[in-house]
Amino acid sequence: MPAMPGATLSRWTPAYFAAAVLFLLLAEALMVAGFGYPATGLRSPETLALVHCVTLGWLSLLMLGALFQFVPVLVAGPIHSNELPLPTLVLILLGLGTLVAGFLQLAGRLPFIPATFLATTVLLSGGFGLALWNLGRTLYAARPLNLPAQFVTIGLASVAATVSFGIIFTLGFGGYARTLPLANLQAHGLPLHIIAGLAGWLTFTAIGVSHRLLAMFMLSPELDGPTTRWTLRLGCAALAIVIGAGAVVASAGHDPGLVLLVAGLTGLGCLALYARDAVQLYRKRLRPLIELNSRMAGVALGHLAGATVLLIVLVASGLLARHAGALVFLVCFGWLSGLGLAMLYKIVAFVTWLECYGPVLGKTPTPRVQDLVVEPRAARWFWLYFAAVDAATLALLAGMPLVFRAAAFAMCAATAGIAFELARTRRLVNVGSELRLPAGSRPPRLLSTFVPS
Amino acid sequence: MSEVPGSAAVDQVREALKLVIDPELGYNIVDLGLIYDVAVKDGREAIITMTTTTRGCPATDYLRMGARDAAFSIEGIDEAEIILTYNPPWVPRMMSAQAKAHFRIRDE
Repeated sequence: MPAMPGATLSRWTPAYFAAAVLFLLLAEALMVAGFGYPATGLRSPETLALVHCVTLGWLSLLMLGALFQFVPVLVAGPIHSNELPLPTLVLILLGLGTLVAGFLQLAGRLPFIPATFLATTVLLSGGFGLALWNLGRTLYAARPLNLPAQFVTIGLASVAATVSFGIIFTLGFGGYARTLPLANLQAHGLPLHIIAGLAGWLTFTAIGVSHRLLAMFMLSPELDGPTTRWTLRLGCAALAIVIGAGAVVASAGHDPGLVLLVAGLTGLGCLALYARDAVQLYRKRLRPLIELNSRMAGVALGHLAGATVLLIVLVASGLLARHAGALVFLVCFGWLSGLGLAMLYKIVAFVTWLECYGPVLGKTPTPRVQDLVVEPRAARWFWLYFAAVDAATLALLAGMPLVFRAAAFAMCAATAGIAFELARTRRLVNVGSELRLPAGSRPPRLLSTFVPS
Repeated sequence: MSEVPGSAAVDQVREALKLVIDPELGYNIVDLGLIYDVAVKDGREAIITMTTTTRGCPATDYLRMGARDAAFSIEGIDEAEIILTYNPPWVPRMMSAQAKAHFRIRDE
């Protein structure tokens, strides 16, 4: 045997997932408490603190944890380093902590210390720099890249841009980097930061990973035809327009509205082609009965379609500025978080199975991955989650903050229910006692995966 | 090779391999069609040609080790060579009729 079994397991992915879920619960609890939008303005420091708990603490940690496990699957090669993800996680968590502290300083809730913002830029650029180095080296070693890996590469380029914009803003908050082009970017570049993060980093990477994972889980033919290639090309073009042309226009002191319109139309083409691919993946699946994760991924994809329609309606009616918060909320929670929770439900069970039962395969009967979960119980929490997200979005559109907080409470309860199910999976509670821990198997730890050295 | 596929030893190894399940599909790798060939050389060395449902599957090394250990469970087998191949790539129609019925996949 050339490779040690388990060498393909990502050691620190469970720690990323645990931290991510805690940040999601924290963000939802803050929304229940009326912290940030809509109680305060969309650009208020409180909203910025809340938004970064969601986008950095929850979505980015979730995505990075998943990528450390699945980029090696996508490229059929080993991760460059299975150890770097731990310092990466520590740096990002510290950076997020100082970032949130900085926003609370701007809100007057903490004494103002400019060095906080400087520390944030060092910590976050260090953390994401390590992640990009590790994943980038893994992808580089596996050239030529298949289509899903090319999507992930563009996603990683986008997170580099997102973090760069974020650093420029953060330095500005601390009173640093006030030269004219940077000050112009600080004044006009916020949409570029948001789009590079939500569309480029999170959505584009999710598109690439979902192509492969949905095909694997539903036994659908892998898509690498013209539709998928043009999805990649149009998405690349849209992101290049936003990040490249947008940065040039904004740093020259102009509003990048026209650039965003051109990029938006290109991006709509990309999303339309992805929708076609997603429908094909579900239609052409050979597995008629699909599992909860694939069903819920379908619901999340429906929310991406819903968010796209909402974007078109808001732009056409001139109401985008008024309802941008509701749109970003729907993208973050209906699409990205919905897909993230659905995939998390599967990945936790799969990784736990590999860790516990992989070593005894062929020696003794083992449970199936499906035996580690109880789908009907989890399904109720997923449906509650999506219903609450829809109610919260409608409450934001209708300007009903109390209804929004009630819906956020339901989201929080549903997330806690799903988190409880994930912990049960990790602890093998759902596996019958006769199969739970056969001789030679090892009980999993909650926050790390055992990887033989 | 002193024995050809179909011999008693080959059948025994094949049967033993049914203890190994693909974790994702939750079904044994023989009926899933992941075992492309089994041969037994000199009555003591099993040569198993197999694949996985997807290239780069994180379970690959475990499946190989599992196939080896399953072969070792047969009396007289003390060597095993596991050949991993993706040529041809696995497709669901390679499943046995029983597995197809389990997954409610139409038999083409």
